[in-house]
Amino acid sequence: MSSEVNDSTVILALETSCDETAASVVMGGSDVLSSIVSSQIDIHARFGGVVPEVASRAHLEALLPVVNSAIEEAGILPTRIDAVAATAGPGLIGALLVGVSAAKSLSLVWNKPFIGVNHLEAHLYAGLLDDPSLQFPLVVLLVSGGHTMIIHMKDHGDYTVLGRTIDDAAGEAYDKVARYLNLGYPGGPVIDKIASEGNPHAVEFPRAMMHDGLDVSFSGLKTAVINHVKKNPEMHNVDVAASFQAAVVDVLCAKTIRAAQQVGAQGIVLGGGVSANSLLRSEMTRRGNEAGFKVALPSRAMCTDNAAMIASAAWHRLKSDGPTSLECGAYPNLKLAAVPR
Amino acid sequence: MILGIETAVEHVGVALGDHRGIRARTSLASDRRHAEALTPMIQFVMQQAGVEMDQLSAIAVDIGPGLFTGMRVGLAAAQSMAWALDIPIAPVCSLDAVAMHHDSTDLTVAAALDARRGEVYWATYRMRGPGQEPHRLSDPVVSSPDDLAIHLAERAEEVVCVGSGFDRYSDVFEASPWVSTLSVRGHSPSAEALVTIGSQMLVTDRAVSASAVTPMYLRAPDAEINWQVREGIS
Ligand SMILES: [Zn+2]
Repeated sequence: MSSEVNDSTVILALETSCDETAASVVMGGSDVLSSIVSSQIDIHARFGGVVPEVASRAHLEALLPVVNSAIEEAGILPTRIDAVAATAGPGLIGALLVGVSAAKSLSLVWNKPFIGVNHLEAHLYAGLLDDPSLQFPLVVLLVSGGHTMIIHMKDHGDYTVLGRTIDDAAGEAYDKVARYLNLGYPGGPVIDKIASEGNPHAVEFPRAMMHDGLDVSFSGLKTAVINHVKKNPEMHNVDVAASFQAAVVDVLCAKTIRAAQQVGAQGIVLGGGVSANSLLRSEMTRRGNEAGFKVALPSRAMCTDNAAMIASAAWHRLKSDGPTSLECGAYPNLKLAAVPR
Repeated sequence: MILGIETAVEHVGVALGDHRGIRARTSLASDRRHAEALTPMIQFVMQQAGVEMDQLSAIAVDIGPGLFTGMRVGLAAAQSMAWALDIPIAPVCSLDAVAMHHDSTDLTVAAALDARRGEVYWATYRMRGPGQEPHRLSDPVVSSPDDLAIHLAERAEEVVCVGSGFDRYSDVFEASPWVSTLSVRGHSPSAEALVTIGSQMLVTDRAVSASAVTPMYLRAPDAEINWQVREGIS
């Protein structure tokens, strides 16, 4: 199989792990011919978070239109597709199953290999898609609503998790603080926006575990924000948001750069929805460069969930491990280094 | 050739056939591993029957009511296959397929599936004879078993009762004088029944394009119900 995977191998990938229904056609692992994302943010906003059953229903509805657009926009005939991939985990089980079931069926109909992809591994490839000049070893900061991880990427398929959150994910902390301040859902973009108008030094919120290994913790910070607002109701939201964001970004930058120094990384890559945050992008670039690291910032479209990164990871997996069995299911708690069978 | 896909209940079933009958079938008591089982089962049935993908003229799929996650696995598979092959889908209601177990009775048939949370999905039928798609007397609904028992009592006629909804709440129905036959356990919708009904939908032009298929949930997501209660919408 590995000999057949090359620069002209075309992969159709589906992503349905959380609240984006996405399909993409990628050639040779890095040439993105199309990347269609249908977001459910509006559907979930009134619930203040992603509701699994609502998400699963929306994925099934969006599936065919999204796949159709991906193929049309790529300007190819379905016969040109060499393999079909889908996110197999981690994620919401009912949501994942929609994509896995569809991708396996297409693989069967077209008689082409199927690849079940690890969503976390795909996020690592998102950075590489936008900057193919990156050299291993890399340190990747993967920050989203569900994950906060500092990863040592030694080579394709070779990772070590150096640090992770011991409680809330960074994006989760944003959502909870935004909810408390009545700013709506999702919290990341709105806090990012109003923080730019506030004073980041208005409150010195705690930087938990700052000098303590590479793990991070955001639960105490969230509580500190809530307590501070209770005691100081007159304080402006913009200053609270700016000070909260400053604390989150300070911890993420410090730990990521320390991790890069420890493993002798060639560069630092951001990934996941929170890496679209403007302060995180500017601070990581400034502080990372100061410490002598190349810092790669994927485009916003590559930070959030998309299927191009799934196709890219699938191409590398197909090359190294061959196809996944058609008995593949969905694995809601799949770990980073694990590969669906 | 029509491919029948059943994933809306605990078991997974796949069958292949046409109006003349079933060519190949397989089923698995899968206990919620529908997605793992389905694709290899489709592959197996096609190989057994010696049928190629391009020989399929339609896909008959159970659109519910049933297990939400299970039926989406079947729908995602059926819709992708039908889209890729450019063939139509015969969307079959799970309860219609359950009623087919008694296709030769002259009595009214009630089909009910366990909907969990103390409720059943059900519909009533007049049968049209062996191998014939049943005629619905009432549309599929979700209700308490007691409401179904009241409906059956109001019909004031003998009724053949079939499906997991009656098995689950047999205590409610055994006492009812209207129930003529309380069908034995295991009368689930079968993939064969989907093919049988699907082939009749195909000839009467009721098959639809892959993108036009909608699942029959009959029940809103919990979060939706809670939100509506909170917002005072009923
Ligand atoms: Zn993600």
